[in-house]
Amino acid sequence: MALIIHAGSTNKNAMKALIVAEYTGVKVELVKDFQMGVSNKTPEFLSLNPIGKVPVLETPDGSVFESNAIARYVARLTDNTLFGASLIDYGRIEQWIDFATLEIDSNILRWFIPRIGFAVYLPPAEEAAISSLKRALAALNTHLASNTYLVGHSVTLADIIMTCNLVLGFSRIMTKSFTSEFPHVERYFWTMVNQPNFLKIVGEVKQAESVPPVQSAKKPSETKEPVKPTVKDAPKEEAKKEVKEQVAKPEAAEEVVEAPKPKAKNPLDLLPSSKMVLDDWKRLYSNTKTNFREVAIKGLSFVFPSFKKLISV
Amino acid sequence: MALIIHAGSTNKNAMKALIVAEYTGVKVELVKDFQMGVSNKTPEFLSLNPIGKVPVLETPDGSVFESNAIARYVARLTDNTLFGTSLIDYGRIEQWIDFATLEIDSNILRWFIPRIGFAVYLPPAEEAAISSLKRALAALNTHLASNTYLVGHSVTLADIIMTCNLVLGFSRIMTKSFTSEFPHVERYFWTMVNQPNFLKIVGEVKQADSVPPVQSAKKPSENKEPVNPTVKDAPKEEAKKEVKEQVAKPEAAEEVVEAPKPKAKNPLDLLPSSKMVLDDWKRLYSNTKTNFREVAIKGFWDMYDPEGYSLWFCDYKYNEENTVSFVTMNKVGGFLQRMDLARKYAFGKMLIIGSEPPFKVKGLWLFRGKEIPKFILDECYDMELYEWKQVDITDEAQKERVNQMIEDYEPFEGESLLDAKCFK
Repeated sequence: MALIIHAGSTNKNAMKALIVAEYTGVKVELVKDFQMGVSNKTPEFLSLNPIGKVPVLETPDGSVFESNAIARYVARLTDNTLFGASLIDYGRIEQWIDFATLEIDSNILRWFIPRIGFAVYLPPAEEAAISSLKRALAALNTHLASNTYLVGHSVTLADIIMTCNLVLGFSRIMTKSFTSEFPHVERYFWTMVNQPNFLKIVGEVKQAESVPPVQSAKKPSETKEPVKPTVKDAPKEEAKKEVKEQVAKPEAAEEVVEAPKPKAKNPLDLLPSSKMVLDDWKRLYSNTKTNFREVAIKGLSFVFPSFKKLISV
Repeated sequence: MALIIHAGSTNKNAMKALIVAEYTGVKVELVKDFQMGVSNKTPEFLSLNPIGKVPVLETPDGSVFESNAIARYVARLTDNTLFGTSLIDYGRIEQWIDFATLEIDSNILRWFIPRIGFAVYLPPAEEAAISSLKRALAALNTHLASNTYLVGHSVTLADIIMTCNLVLGFSRIMTKSFTSEFPHVERYFWTMVNQPNFLKIVGEVKQADSVPPVQSAKKPSENKEPVNPTVKDAPKEEAKKEVKEQVAKPEAAEEVVEAPKPKAKNPLDLLPSSKMVLDDWKRLYSNTKTNFREVAIKGFWDMYDPEGYSLWFCDYKYNEENTVSFVTMNKVGGFLQRMDLARKYAFGKMLIIGSEPPFKVKGLWLFRGKEIPKFILDECYDMELYEWKQVDITDEAQKERVNQMIEDYEPFEGESLLDAKCFK
């Protein structure tokens, strides 16, 4: 019986466990019909994860949340070398997993999330985030100058988690001119995402050409999923965001990416014509400065005859 | 042979592994004479951890950094139940470790660090941090309503890490009225910190009475350690902070607490009197609006007394850190604030040089006496962050450099000035 991950299909955090499963042969599937902001708000979901975030793994023995924990759990289901071949290997794999999370991912998100409008944009905070990210990438670059993999001589869980975190950065906000300062990180990243087990889950990655422009204060959002990091299909415009409440904490936001729809005739244009002209009402509403009730509300009843029954003017 | 942890003695992140060791019987010790900001800047240390942060564990087989990784490694050295007794236990222990780090610790730090002046204070960011923290504590509270421990029926690694992270929150910023909304978290926390193995490492914890007031733009700091979360001794005034560069990322800061000193006579007052009066120079410097070089600079050399005073160039040793403009400026500002004790005996100009990072920080100082006053070296820790060279006033090139630094001459040594700060 396959393990089920509750997350959207573009969630880079869910990809961690899915890539592990490719390496180890365990069956892990994404839940069907997951709707961000809806599926993770049900009482059933909250009993799996009281904070209501994704991804969550469902197993026959119970649920696990936190993407790194899920990836570790899946990795321990079978004998494999994803945790290294010695105790010191293990310690270092855990160290790079934590580094990938606290130094790389958190700073990428601190930079990215306000720019796509899901947290308040504050220039000094952004400057500090970029500085911290550069410091972390410089340290990673130093390590990768003499190492092909983070630990040992083959892919471990540290590489899977680090790469998934970098996918978000490379595809959405770190341009070539930014990453060219860290050539060993670049080499590492492109090697990793082209490994067959990564390619199968992540798909083709194209590096961002520009930093997202700062959005004005946006729709709030509550439970979020990481943005779609891959370009499995042709690049699409972000046509729709499902969001609820604005949180400043750097959490990844889910964006539902839809293809631009061909312009169709709006069926409302095909209705029989009406003597009410909506723009007339809007103009009346906006221009009425005094005696609002007498003028605008009364006027509404002329513009919208059946409204007259609802108000006493 | 004991494993060695490089960290200060009050570092709550180092305590994680130390508590694990109490449970499992492994020998782990803190390194001796660790100096935050100094010990972790050496090339040897950076070879252990290229990002230069603490704690770092040294083992016979090599080093491990990241406090949670260190704790996990130590826990795996022996057979024990800190990772649970089943695979699903293990998964859940890892889940609560990550939750303790990403949901609890990171939000506590986002709230705390700007308030103690080690990151820029931004009200909307604080509001969001508190909101996220409450959301996390509410979820934790729900879980602990029906669980004594995070996983299973005994202490696991998740409890050790969660508790260490909560210690910082409870003792420094989360008051009783804040935590009373999460009674199960309160019950859990006080139970945990009173377990003998915790008490031995953490010491007695007293809950914060109030939220720290917002500090004005402060001393910058780079590598930081968590603040002393315990009150092992009587509460003391925070007399000194060891910090380097202001980072907005929520990292814990180390504070060295000293008792207030009795007022001593300043040895500089006992020097033979000099015809140069420092205040006259400061007045001339400040009041000269035009023809600065002809009036003020000339006036300086006319009044300068090389027997009673000395001139020094200083050069910041770690310019590679200066990657953020306002952080660098704050760092220098902090230095000048800490020089306040020398105001009667010193005049200084600090220049921040360059049009892009890394910025160079260089300065010129005039001190009473023929040496850098010892009380300044003792009291102002920034002094050791700079290379100091006495100005040879017989060397015309050096004299000219003095002149340029006094008058904020641009371009200075070929570069534009980001900022110039005067200590007078």
